[in-house]
Amino acid sequence: MTAPRMLRGLVAAVIAMPLALLGACGGDDGSGSDGKTELTFFWWGGEARAKLTEQALALYKQKHPDVTFKTTWQANQGYFDKLATLTAGDGAPDIFQIDDNYLAEYATRNVTEDLTRYKDSGKLDVSRFPESLWKYGVVGDKLAGMAMGENTQGLVFNKTKLAAARQEPPRTGMSWEELISWAQRAGAATKVAGTMDPSADYKALWVWLRQNGKEFYTGNQLGFAKEDVQKWFELWKGARDAKATPPADVIHEGNATDITKQLVVTGKALTSWVWANQMPDIQKNTKDELGVVAYPGDPSAQWARASMYLSVYRGSKHKDVAVDVLNFLANDPEAGKVLGTDRGLPSNLDIRKQVAASVTDPAMKASIALEDELVKKFGASPSVPPKGHATVKTELVKAAEAAQFGTATPAQAAEQFVTAAQAAISR
Amino acid sequence: MAITTRPPTQRPQPGPAAPQRRGRPARHRDDGRAGYVFLTPWLIGFAAVTAIPMLMSLYLSFTDYDILTPWSEVKWIGLDNYQRMFGDDPAYWHAVRVTLIFAFIATPLKLGSALGVALLLNRSFRGSGLFRGLFYLPSLLGGSVALAMVWHSMFDRSGSINAILGWFGIEGKAWVNDPDTALGTLILLAIWQFGAPMVIFLAGLKQVPNELYEAAEVDGAGALRQFLSVTLPMLSPVIFFNLVLETIHGFQGFTSAFVLSGGTGGPVDSTLMYTLYLYIRGFANYEMGYASAMAWVFLLTIGLVTVVLFRTGRFWVHYSDGDD
Repeated sequence: MTAPRMLRGLVAAVIAMPLALLGACGGDDGSGSDGKTELTFFWWGGEARAKLTEQALALYKQKHPDVTFKTTWQANQGYFDKLATLTAGDGAPDIFQIDDNYLAEYATRNVTEDLTRYKDSGKLDVSRFPESLWKYGVVGDKLAGMAMGENTQGLVFNKTKLAAARQEPPRTGMSWEELISWAQRAGAATKVAGTMDPSADYKALWVWLRQNGKEFYTGNQLGFAKEDVQKWFELWKGARDAKATPPADVIHEGNATDITKQLVVTGKALTSWVWANQMPDIQKNTKDELGVVAYPGDPSAQWARASMYLSVYRGSKHKDVAVDVLNFLANDPEAGKVLGTDRGLPSNLDIRKQVAASVTDPAMKASIALEDELVKKFGASPSVPPKGHATVKTELVKAAEAAQFGTATPAQAAEQFVTAAQAAISR
Repeated sequence: MAITTRPPTQRPQPGPAAPQRRGRPARHRDDGRAGYVFLTPWLIGFAAVTAIPMLMSLYLSFTDYDILTPWSEVKWIGLDNYQRMFGDDPAYWHAVRVTLIFAFIATPLKLGSALGVALLLNRSFRGSGLFRGLFYLPSLLGGSVALAMVWHSMFDRSGSINAILGWFGIEGKAWVNDPDTALGTLILLAIWQFGAPMVIFLAGLKQVPNELYEAAEVDGAGALRQFLSVTLPMLSPVIFFNLVLETIHGFQGFTSAFVLSGGTGGPVDSTLMYTLYLYIRGFANYEMGYASAMAWVFLLTIGLVTVVLFRTGRFWVHYSDGDD
């Protein structure tokens, strides 16, 4: 072999190699001639969730010995980076967990299988779900994911510190002004800021907007105007000036989505604005006893939100089996017992009743009690946030922080937010 | 296989020059072949994980690729991404500004600290090795997430920095959480990791011949004069090397900004470094085409800065050619 020919061979090998690797990745569909089916399943969460999920999947395997699972899980941070990368390489898992921040991103790009026909044929049974809950998985006219649990907005407060300073706790139904003046009093009495400033929190803004006859989104448009946001920012500027909230640099810490940084956990405020099903997790991170009520104002502005969904990858080779697994996880009483309330209140109301009766964790009990109280008052669920929502959320944080640090007036910050948010959802 | 192609032993033949000359290229060729064989794993790796992805990203920078859409549906949009970057994205220019401030403040201060400490540690004294090791340590931990987290807690409201300030009656704030000071804490963190250039400076200082100092002393030069007229010129190639390396490094600051701001570049975009913004565009906003365009502009800019540094180097970098 002469040198040039050898070189040519090398170059060919170099070019062919990645192609060969790609081929190897895509070629195996995982189901051999022996009738075995392997499903990949990817979710975010902690170790406890992993254990429960594995247990529930083991139950499924007992009934369907020909199905095996390859599970992967990790913390929320970085989860969606990984999911996107897997999808880009055509290697998305057969079943994956997703939330309403990203559901529209994936659904409008046809990454998720449309589950409508499975729902219609009863293979995916949602008949025992609250209607607004399963509908919260509809993007456009496609059912993009199955709601795997329900939650709603919850104002978590520190019972221990309030009791020590003989202050009454906040209650469901108090007005926003009442809450702020309560926070001022309670803060002065306990020497801890009364409330986290939620002006950067889209879900708090959303509830407030609904109480004012607006929506966060109407279809693929913003459901509010610059003036609304300005009023919102001014409301909280007043609260900061009245010392009902901590100073801006502390608020910034609480603006992180990480539960352990919530001010009610770090002891820097008496209340945090969270999702009610996060109660047990938050409680685990503090020694003080916590309670939970609805956000201020009329609680009918809140809605039954799917805390997360399970979706099936459109490119999956085993969609039918994957849907069957979803159906099992949501509707099988035994699986329901194992999964408990880890992903929110069970979507299936029968199972929810059964699980609620057996819950012993006081934090979870409080969360269920709130949900039970509100379930009769809930307004209609809005449609799932559109594509670009994740960017809108970060733009809100940015604008609200500019107002908090005083680098912009509420009016300037509102202007900045609306412009950036419009750009984000119209791309 | 390589050996068989070589003509049988020619060395004993005292013939004319021609066959010998013919033999030599053959042997060169053999060496080349063996080289390529040994290089194969690297070549494959280079192509698979560097060259091909780079070319792909160049292609993607002209498309609206969003990661989630299959390749077949990617739309060619020409220069749109570049146009948007330069004309229609204020956050982009903000990120450029943050990065320039970071690089142009952190790099000289880091090099200055490195040179200063290297001069102090250049002589041998008890425990000098230990000190060299200790000063080098932060660099080893360089881009680590753990270090950035430690930094975060130090500069937090209840952190050790404020505790120390408290001794002097100064009331601190959460330095990492304030838009006025957040970037400053990042710059401090970068300066603190001066160990790597310091070690290179130390090696450079060892190369300066002692006779030069002796001669300077005979001529009556003081310590400062010696430093300016002997140390600096003799060290200039090393300074140049460190300058190029650290400038590139400065432009690429990512980990500390990512960790300290929780991946957002906040508060109020004060730590939105170029690479962090690129990451956010690509992975949080699913605008991978745009992110690719940003990456290519970034590559060209760093290339340009390096070229400029090399040009200016002609005027101040002094290479001893062995004759003096």
